[in-house]
Amino acid sequence: MGGLDGLLQGFQVAFSIEGLLFVFIGVFIGTFIGMMPGLGPISAIAIMIPITYGMEPSTALVMMAGVYYGAVFGGSTSSILLNAPGISGTVATAFDGYPMAQRGEAGKALAIAAVSSFVGGTVSVVLLMLFAPALAQVAVTFGPPEYFALMFMGLTAISSLSEGSTIKALISATLGFMVVTIGIDGQTGTPRFTFNNPNLLEGIDFLVIALGLFALAEVCFLIINRKDTSLTDKANVGSTKLSKEDLKEMRGPMSRQSFLGFLLGVLPGAGATIASFIGYITEKKIAKKPEEFGKGSVRGLSGPETANNAATSGAFVPLLSLGIPGSGTTAVMLGAFLVMGIQPGPLLVQDHPDIFWGIIASMYIGNIILLVLNLPLIPYISKLLKIPRPLLISLVIIFSLIGVYSVSFNVFHLYVLLFFGVVGYLMRLTSFPAAPFILAFILGGMMEQSLRQALTASNGDYSVFVTEPISLTLLIISLLTFVVPMIKRRYSTV
Amino acid sequence: MIKTLHQKVSLILIAIAAGYLYLSYNLKEYPYVPVDSDLVPKVLGYVLLVLAVALFFDKSSETEEEKEKRVVPKKEILVMAAVGGMIFVYIFLFEILGFLITTFVFILACSAFLGYRKWMTSLIVSIVFPGALYYVFNYLLQIRLPQGILPF
Amino acid sequence: MKKLLSFGLILFLSILTACSNDQYASSDDGEWEPEQPIELVAPAGAGGGWDTTARSVSQVMEEEGIVDEDIGVVNKPGGGGAVGWAYVDRKQGNPHHMFIGSPPLVFIPLNGQSQLGYEDFTPLANMIADYAAFAVADDAKWDDLNDLFDDMKEDPKDITVVGTSSPGSMDHMQFVKIAKAAGVDITKIKYVSSQDGGALTQVLNGNADVFSTGVAETVEQVRAGKIKVLGITAEERLEGEVLSEFKTAKEQGIDATFTNWRGFFGPKDMDEGQVKYYEEKFKEVSDSESFKEIRDKYGWEEMYMTSEEYQEYLDEQNEELRGLLDEMGLAE
Repeated sequence: MGGLDGLLQGFQVAFSIEGLLFVFIGVFIGTFIGMMPGLGPISAIAIMIPITYGMEPSTALVMMAGVYYGAVFGGSTSSILLNAPGISGTVATAFDGYPMAQRGEAGKALAIAAVSSFVGGTVSVVLLMLFAPALAQVAVTFGPPEYFALMFMGLTAISSLSEGSTIKALISATLGFMVVTIGIDGQTGTPRFTFNNPNLLEGIDFLVIALGLFALAEVCFLIINRKDTSLTDKANVGSTKLSKEDLKEMRGPMSRQSFLGFLLGVLPGAGATIASFIGYITEKKIAKKPEEFGKGSVRGLSGPETANNAATSGAFVPLLSLGIPGSGTTAVMLGAFLVMGIQPGPLLVQDHPDIFWGIIASMYIGNIILLVLNLPLIPYISKLLKIPRPLLISLVIIFSLIGVYSVSFNVFHLYVLLFFGVVGYLMRLTSFPAAPFILAFILGGMMEQSLRQALTASNGDYSVFVTEPISLTLLIISLLTFVVPMIKRRYSTV
Repeated sequence: MIKTLHQKVSLILIAIAAGYLYLSYNLKEYPYVPVDSDLVPKVLGYVLLVLAVALFFDKSSETEEEKEKRVVPKKEILVMAAVGGMIFVYIFLFEILGFLITTFVFILACSAFLGYRKWMTSLIVSIVFPGALYYVFNYLLQIRLPQGILPF
Repeated sequence: MKKLLSFGLILFLSILTACSNDQYASSDDGEWEPEQPIELVAPAGAGGGWDTTARSVSQVMEEEGIVDEDIGVVNKPGGGGAVGWAYVDRKQGNPHHMFIGSPPLVFIPLNGQSQLGYEDFTPLANMIADYAAFAVADDAKWDDLNDLFDDMKEDPKDITVVGTSSPGSMDHMQFVKIAKAAGVDITKIKYVSSQDGGALTQVLNGNADVFSTGVAETVEQVRAGKIKVLGITAEERLEGEVLSEFKTAKEQGIDATFTNWRGFFGPKDMDEGQVKYYEEKFKEVSDSESFKEIRDKYGWEEMYMTSEEYQEYLDEQNEELRGLLDEMGLAE
């Protein structure tokens, strides 16, 4: 069946009254769950699985796609308003989104996020539709050496994430990498740095780090400035008005990151997180005024938000065309397929064209609904910041604690969260940046596993990393991004 | 003579690196892989050691802005410690008394402690917020928050 | 003053709860009925073997009206199962929580990766048997297990096995068990662990050679001509489209099988009435026509065991697997 016929059929599935209704419900529920502490797309889809029991598979999956989209968007809200990223994909959103909201432009920040998400989501669905089968083949060529090189490239970006001292940024990253080595090692099953405490066997969850270093550390500053009422008194925090200049600023990041984010999303395992960080970093590198980044820059918010949504559709490429889940979220999505009695595989398009095209069509519609549903809600959501500081502080603390509890169900991790809150505060006091810490935490784990998977297969021969062309190219790029600025600095000072 | 902040931090980091390396050298061996689970930790330990030493001799002094950030009144530190203590007690009682009661007490106590005196609003928020969250989690999403001693 | 008051209240309330243990015990005549919704924990994410089995069982129970209370499946992924086990272990005294278990419940404690093992729970009933499959890329040079094992005996360095579970757990040890029976030196087997679909990708791009997994995971990829299955670990061939084409290890002259049994476990120290209640209900599910259909669909075989039979079976399994792990030097 041709693509166009298929898409038309897909729109029939998605555009039926029933289909539309379920996409709408899906997006709504997804946004709602995404805003809940600690719950991201993974939990949102998992929660919806029992509810879709007994529904027509195509409608159920169309709804699931809506839930996925909604949850990714919903996660940005807490990043922007509270500096509390609920999922790893929205950490980079907080870098500029939170300062912007603190400036009294919460509505604008959320609107930029919504519009960027919409553009990133829509462009990438077009790409998904056109290139899915071809790209899937590329995705499969990525083995452990290539992943190692990709993660390494991500890590070299640390230098550009820091304000000021490079040594401090590197120390921060090393510490983040060290924390991720806690727990059972995937390749040998050896427990590492657990001090014989069974609670640490699982390692430390991403949320514990993100909510500790970002949300709780920020709470300390809120406590000091608790009498500050500038935000509470400000009349128009919820204004979603974007000026012509804002839109012009957004155009560049949105068009670039839609493509880059999508491509990174296609690679199994890379996903939205890496896409959003790379999105942030590339925008900062090419920006005319990089010093604005981290202080509420429009580009710094639009870039990662476009990228993480584009990556979200990208992650569907290996799932829909090969039956291989590329990320934790698509793995749960695969679960949803299986529960529905559909085993996704390379033959999905042939065997179940209604489902394949229905999902794609629902992504188009889902994106539009997401925008239409959320823009009018933004003024109300941003009113959250008008809550008097002492009350807001208590609520942010509870939000963080419940966020961690709802993924671990273990009080021990709440103590660890408190610990990282203190660490985060001390790091801010001594000007150690938190961003490299969390980036190394996210990338480090995968980087180590890929390194050792590759070395096991090659019997300990390190040359695998330079004999594979993709891996070699990526390593050269990372070296250049690291070395070139240093040389430049040397010559400019001489 | 240890003077600057950098040197103090550097010494702490060296201690962390040393402890981490000690543990890395004592990891259990696994015979069936060419590169064992200790390689990356050892590298990280040494990298941190080198970086910490570099920080010790780092001449670049702090900017005025950075210094200013560190000036925190003693009183505020006590306030933060007290909030930290409240969080600790909250966590301790969380599974014993259940989500609803602990959260109710925490919001009421914490916001009053930080200077919020509108009791009525405070009371309403501390009942409605945990109540709504509890309902959504336990009944709509089937994620069980600790029930504790209440019957629901 | 206010603080004192609330402290007093807290103290009073905690004493109140401390007095209310044993609230769910069976009546004096040894009969027991659930009083709350029943929670089936799948100690992994949605869509895996545990999850699918638990969901099918709860579906049949509700549709056929076997149990009056509601039954919900809850996913508690992490630690190869250990997170979900710990969760049920914390529910001691409340027989409305149980989890679905399978060989990792034996492997992981033996590896020292979980302090809880099958001895710490009450086996209620086993439901089904599933089997392992060993697959390679479709253009690989091996056509059956003997080809593969001959090469492995000659030069074990060239062949990498990939699976999802951690070393010393199921995907690894099921391969080790069959390879040992074929005379391969099991201390030379290279095993790589990869999550989130990475295992299949590694076989497709040639980083690894053999994919050690469950039978169901291979069907679609075989149908699309991406991979081929060299052998499965069942006693006899399975039934069903594609499934029936898979050769068993036994028919290739390797005298070994590996059963991925799946059944339900409650918290420690459940009383007789409670165990009896669940045994009967699970038996009803197992005998129902609709569960038979589900079994056929996924290629599972019927393997019902009562609590007592299950306990004995588990003890045997534990001995056998411990022997294997000891030989590898992986047992704690």
